[in-house]
Amino acid sequence: MKKWLVSMVIILFVVALAACTAKKGAGEESKDNGKQNATEESVDKKVLKLNNGREPTSFDPAIGFDNVSWNALNNLMEGLTRLGDDHQPQPAIAEKWDVSEDGKTYTFYLRKDANWSNGDPVVAEDFIFAWERLLNPDTGSAAGFLGYFIKGGEAFNNGEGSKDDLGLTAVDEKTFEVELESPTGFFLHLITNPAFFPVNHKVAEENPKWHAEANTFVANGPFKLDTWKHDNEMVFSKNKEYWDAENVLLDGVHWTMIDDVNTEYQMFERGELDSAEIPAELSDQLIDGENVRIVERGGLDFYRFNVTEEPFQNIKIRKAFALAIDQKEIAEFVVKNKVEPASGFVSPGFMNPEGKDFRDVNGDLISFNPEEAKALLEEGMKEEGYDELPKVTLSYNTDNVNKDVAETLQGMISEHLGIKVELENTEWNVFLEDQKALKHQLSRSSFLYDYADPVNFLESFITGSYMNRTGWSNEKYDELIANAKSAVDEKKRWEYMYEAEKLLAEEMPIFPIRYYNQVEVLQEGVTNILRHPVGYLDLKYADKQ
Amino acid sequence: MLRYILKRLLIMLVTLWIIVTLTFILMVTIPGSPFNSERGTNEVVQANLEAHYNLDETYIVQYFLYLKSIVTLDFGPSIKQPSQTVNDMLMRGFPISFELGIITIIVAVLSGVTLGIFAALKHNQIIDYLAMGFAVLGISIPNFVLATLLIQQLAVNIELFPVARWLSPAHMILPITALATGPMAIIARLTRSTMLEVLTQDYIKMARAKGLSPWKIVIKHALKNALMPVVTIMGTLLAGILTGTFVIEKIFAVPGMGKYFVESINQRDYPVIMGTTVFYSAFLIIMLFLVDIAYGLLDPRIKLHKKGGK
Repeated sequence: MKKWLVSMVIILFVVALAACTAKKGAGEESKDNGKQNATEESVDKKVLKLNNGREPTSFDPAIGFDNVSWNALNNLMEGLTRLGDDHQPQPAIAEKWDVSEDGKTYTFYLRKDANWSNGDPVVAEDFIFAWERLLNPDTGSAAGFLGYFIKGGEAFNNGEGSKDDLGLTAVDEKTFEVELESPTGFFLHLITNPAFFPVNHKVAEENPKWHAEANTFVANGPFKLDTWKHDNEMVFSKNKEYWDAENVLLDGVHWTMIDDVNTEYQMFERGELDSAEIPAELSDQLIDGENVRIVERGGLDFYRFNVTEEPFQNIKIRKAFALAIDQKEIAEFVVKNKVEPASGFVSPGFMNPEGKDFRDVNGDLISFNPEEAKALLEEGMKEEGYDELPKVTLSYNTDNVNKDVAETLQGMISEHLGIKVELENTEWNVFLEDQKALKHQLSRSSFLYDYADPVNFLESFITGSYMNRTGWSNEKYDELIANAKSAVDEKKRWEYMYEAEKLLAEEMPIFPIRYYNQVEVLQEGVTNILRHPVGYLDLKYADKQ
Repeated sequence: MLRYILKRLLIMLVTLWIIVTLTFILMVTIPGSPFNSERGTNEVVQANLEAHYNLDETYIVQYFLYLKSIVTLDFGPSIKQPSQTVNDMLMRGFPISFELGIITIIVAVLSGVTLGIFAALKHNQIIDYLAMGFAVLGISIPNFVLATLLIQQLAVNIELFPVARWLSPAHMILPITALATGPMAIIARLTRSTMLEVLTQDYIKMARAKGLSPWKIVIKHALKNALMPVVTIMGTLLAGILTGTFVIEKIFAVPGMGKYFVESINQRDYPVIMGTTVFYSAFLIIMLFLVDIAYGLLDPRIKLHKKGGK
């Protein structure tokens, strides 16, 4: 009898427990429903639900030099210009501007109705304050180099000049004059970059940490920062002080910080996010879906030779390796996600003054050619007097995609050149340290553009550049890049860049793998989220049905 | 007892000092720097940054600066997220990680012990096989696999629980289940085997002979002894759960301490590495100490202090 009683009690207990948990879930659901009802009642508040991945490094425009900071910040603040849906700079805080005849002086007229979210007007002084801070060596900004086009910028950032010599003048409250080192054709695009956002100097002088919390943050963009729970979530709402507020369609943006692509996608499936990346494992299944959007992204995935070490001091051997690589196969079957194989160094999408694409003008510079590769290898080995090629190690920073690509490269080199290369991977920070110190022979690299001009990438390979990391040095190349940065005639400037890229392909201190793209799945009814090939996420015109 | 506690406290401090020193040595030996980036900055900016975070000092000076920051409990600002201090991060992340950890332990112990008792009482019956089969599964499935599986089945397919984040009790169920299953399985197996052993003891036979009901025997007489090994492995389990939370927190987007601990190392964010390491080790050392004390209280045979027994 008793035994039965005990069993009964236990069964009851278990059932009760199950009921409890079920109820918890149920309670949550009804609460959610309640919320939904409430929002529906308040005339469809349009709140876009996005994932920022991680906590923004900083909302200080000079410091947060990364996607997790600037994708969000780009919607809270606005510079003199803003990229439109054609990816070209449009008037923003500046309603118009004059350019002097020599192309070196820009005069910006700020909008009379451009205000900060606390009601202060956006004035020329705010820009001077922010740009001086960007270039001040004490600020320690990693984005400082972007300001080197401003007169005196590089000298001030190097600690040689002073901020008084910077070419920045507030003509009056709403007129801002900038002098440049040389006519910089892409200057209007450059200043859409968050590094050039203004900072409310009154607020910042009073509280230097104004950007650290939601209650002290002042915005001048389409949205303002309502709450910011660090490492957890951020809530943006429409900024009524924004000069173009009537064209902002969303009521707000809710950002979570989920640092896991699978979880992000699962939340998307559940309807808790409006946009998500596609996890690599699901790429084949999802990439052709209706709500998938693919946008080009300016940049290059490539490999660097170390030309100071055997056997890559020899151009022909470098070329042999480069021509043994079938970029198409890597793009299509290894990286997937519809990335484009690279046949040159500058990614497509940069238009010359005549409106022609840089890539189309310069054509295919590198294409897979196993026969030529083999012939070049033999010639190269003869030149160097090798009977057998010195051992080659291919290095990459630890990452699943990098590993797949590296293994494919290993296979291709072995198949087409009959050379066995060894693979080596290290953690990113160690990898970078070794690459800088030229300790690698052949190593993986990537580049993403900061501003929409090919010179941004091409200047990486001038002698002694921090970005060079190949040991390669070529006087002619240095000269071409110097000209490409200073030429007054825009057409000439592009000629220099074409020539520089061709020279790079001839000497081959690096070889390209693929260009980048941005892939996202969207919920139905979500429209006009702007993603630029070069630039940051823009939600100004985004809408949600 | 008091003498024992004082002695243990002293040993704890020494342990902590050794951990801090080792961490510091490892930290300065790994190549890389918090200011490493694809772009790089010019030398003046680099030097300014290093001076700002005292990275231009000799290692000895840096070491003492770290010791000072630990003694004063002020780890300074993070290098990678300069507008936040390490203390902010700890104060924000720890309560959440602690909540996750402590509930997990409670769930693991309660369910593990219950399962173990059932299996022992129904030895070689269907319940035993089911419980132990379940335990083997629990031990062999890594928690991150289980976590993904739980989300896909219970959150995405049948929408019973939220997918991720840490907002309400309903949000806690999946991460805690994922994290508790492993330890629960270990506890269940342990309880079962010791319980089987205890149940054959004479005093149990005696109790049975007295005519006590089987449940009374289990609860009143057998359980206390059967639990001893469970208490013994609590320390190890605790460490396991603490490290387990790193992974679970990432998958479920729980804003705990785990990511600071892991990411600070990838980013060479020295103050955060130091802060989180010291914090975790101090916490773990204290917990182990408490487990030892509990052990002594439960089992009078274990003497924490040797009175003249040299």
